Amino acid sequence: MYKVLPKTDLPKLIGRWMEQATVYAPVRQGDFTKFEPLSDPAQADLYYAANTRYPPKSLFLPQSEVMFRVKDGEFESTEDEVSSRVILGIHSCDTRALQLLDGVFLTGDYQDPYWAKKREQTTLVVLGCADPCETCFCTSVGSGPFDKRGADVMLIDIGDEYVADVRNEKGQALFGHLPDASRKQIDKSRQVQAAAAAGMKKPFETEGIKDKLYSLFDSDFWPKIQQSCLGCGACTFLCPTCYCFDIVDEAQRNERVRNWDTCMFRIYSQEASGHNPRPTNTERVRQRIMHKYAYFVELYDEIGCTGCGRCVRYCPVDLDIRQIIRSAQAWEES
Amino acid sequence: MHNPYKPIPMRIARTVVETDDQSLKSFELVFEREADREKFFAKYRPGQFCQLSIFGKGEAPFGVASAAWEGDFVRFTINKIGVFTRAIHKMKSGDAISMRGPLGNGFPIEDWKGSNILIIGGGYAFTTLFALAQHLLAPEIRSQYNDLTVIYGAREPGLFLYKEEIETWYKRDDINLYQAIDRPVEGWSHFVGYVPTVTKEIAPSAENTVSFVCGPPVMIKFTLPVLDELGFPPERIYTSLEKRMKCGIGKCGRCNVGHKYICKDGPVFTFAELRELPADL
Ligand SMILES: Cc1cc2nc3c(=O)[nH]c(=O)nc-3n(C[C@H](O)[C@H](O)[C@H](O)COP(=O)(O)OP(=O)(O)OC[C@H]3O[C@@H](n4cnc5c(N)ncnc54)[C@H](O)[C@@H]3O)c2cc1C
Ligand code: SF4
Ligand code: SF4
Ligand code: FES
Repeated sequence: MYKVLPKTDLPKLIGRWMEQATVYAPVRQGDFTKFEPLSDPAQADLYYAANTRYPPKSLFLPQSEVMFRVKDGEFESTEDEVSSRVILGIHSCDTRALQLLDGVFLTGDYQDPYWAKKREQTTLVVLGCADPCETCFCTSVGSGPFDKRGADVMLIDIGDEYVADVRNEKGQALFGHLPDASRKQIDKSRQVQAAAAAGMKKPFETEGIKDKLYSLFDSDFWPKIQQSCLGCGACTFLCPTCYCFDIVDEAQRNERVRNWDTCMFRIYSQEASGHNPRPTNTERVRQRIMHKYAYFVELYDEIGCTGCGRCVRYCPVDLDIRQIIRSAQAWEES
Repeated sequence: MHNPYKPIPMRIARTVVETDDQSLKSFELVFEREADREKFFAKYRPGQFCQLSIFGKGEAPFGVASAAWEGDFVRFTINKIGVFTRAIHKMKSGDAISMRGPLGNGFPIEDWKGSNILIIGGGYAFTTLFALAQHLLAPEIRSQYNDLTVIYGAREPGLFLYKEEIETWYKRDDINLYQAIDRPVEGWSHFVGYVPTVTKEIAPSAENTVSFVCGPPVMIKFTLPVLDELGFPPERIYTSLEKRMKCGIGKCGRCNVGHKYICKDGPVFTFAELRELPADL
């Protein structure tokens, strides 16, 4: 179902949602944008270039999250402490990331109740990217700037209006009362989508990448490509599909919390015996790349990278994952 | 929705100092709630582990070192090496503690009914192997398997675990026990030598036999070729891996080797399975 929303009416619509839910949208903070709960609809900045620096995965897997409050040895879980939320203006790549992580958190013998509850309570109003930026490569990893998978509503900017592709009941609840889009507006939205995807470059081919990486496991490829890496972990903390976490007790606050963690740190895999299976940056960079482009593919038949470009943009030494994959594909063992 | 991170309340019923150097202690934990006990034993099989937690000291994974028939308790044998393990070593019977589990796959022992069972252990990695041997010694279970052989090595006599129980194995005719220490010690009447050498000497038949091997990396490294020589294919050699873990349920990403998560896909693997994985150990 296609609805139409004049851009000038957006603040009013947000205000309406705010009566019943917490609404998150990109908000400008200096040179960057970050998803924040809105206190005023005017704070929403939907024209943010590229992606927010801080990934919206934090709204589902916070950088630090209380799992339990502990009283007299009883662990009281906090997963129900989340109410209705709307995330407005999240891009397709970050929405894809949530879907990929659903595979981790919601499938198998155990489900993660913290993730599940937040997913359940959230409506995603996705904003398609009419103007993908230089570091984006979603079309290379099986997605695109208007990928609708995972969206409850997809907004397409056609100039003075948004065409809203309402995809399910959750979306219906937010947009159902708006007028239907005209045939002309829908056609316009299709042109916008096609043009955006067509304009994107493909930095590498993913055909055969999993097997290629497995074949390079013990190769000189890894020592070579990791040389400039500082092991700072920025690439993993900002990555929307990186989800590793640590569980620690904050005894003074009587809380058991989970915090983002990263395979880029030495201590991450340090074992009790003193043995460390990933003692240097070489093994750690290999783990990061292989998790996304080999192991994830093996497990879920999907590349575990959405092409959001954050690791490319924010790596302090410009280690570029596109370049790494391209080099891997071209690498010939000497 | 069930919260798999939520620990259940347990109580320490008994503690046993296992080794002469006091570094290993066993803790027998009992359930505070009957429903938890039932749930645990409905799922438990030897080779599985639990996450124990002491609030403020965190959580840590430990293999279960008891068989279900031994009683309504769950035994863990713990080496004192860090924050959590030091804290639990200070605890006494009657103290409260929290637990999650059983976790992991455990030894697929039911797949091997009618076979001979060979258990090879070294050092304190013997914990879950002890649970396996104990499990097999239950009368109604013992009859479902053929010969049961245990080779168990330690640096010196004082470092063997479960000394009392193991002593009773010598008196039984349904288990062949071979204990070995590294160097001769006065009064020691069993084997002397490293586990691989002793295994070679004893030369258990590979015919219709499945083996379970746990121990320090060097023991594993030198035992594998011996088993290979004896004719054990890698599909019939199981081991248990110890990776650093956090969640224990395949969510936190910590313990992967290739696309496998040791906590949920393991910790028990055959060497044939391990060969398929990237060498990220
Ligand atoms: C499946 C499994 C079964 C195990 N079974 C037993 C057992 O039966 N008996 C036993 O004594 N030990 C067992 N361990 C090892 C035990 O989990 C660690 O010794 C324990 O976590 C150390 O905790 P700590 O707080 O005392 O050490 P810490 O103070 O946290 O650290 C001390 C050292 O241990 C390392 N370490 C910390 N946490 C872990 C961890 N979760 N896993 C591995 N290394 C870690 C640290 O990097 C450091 O080098 C098992 C481990 C696994 C994965
Ligand atoms: S690996 Fe880089 S480009 Fe891919 S999803 Fe993560 S941050 Fe984005
Ligand atoms: S951001 Fe760059 S330097 Fe930092 S760990 Fe990632 S690849 Fe290495
Ligand atoms: S310990 Fe968390 S994934 Fe294995």
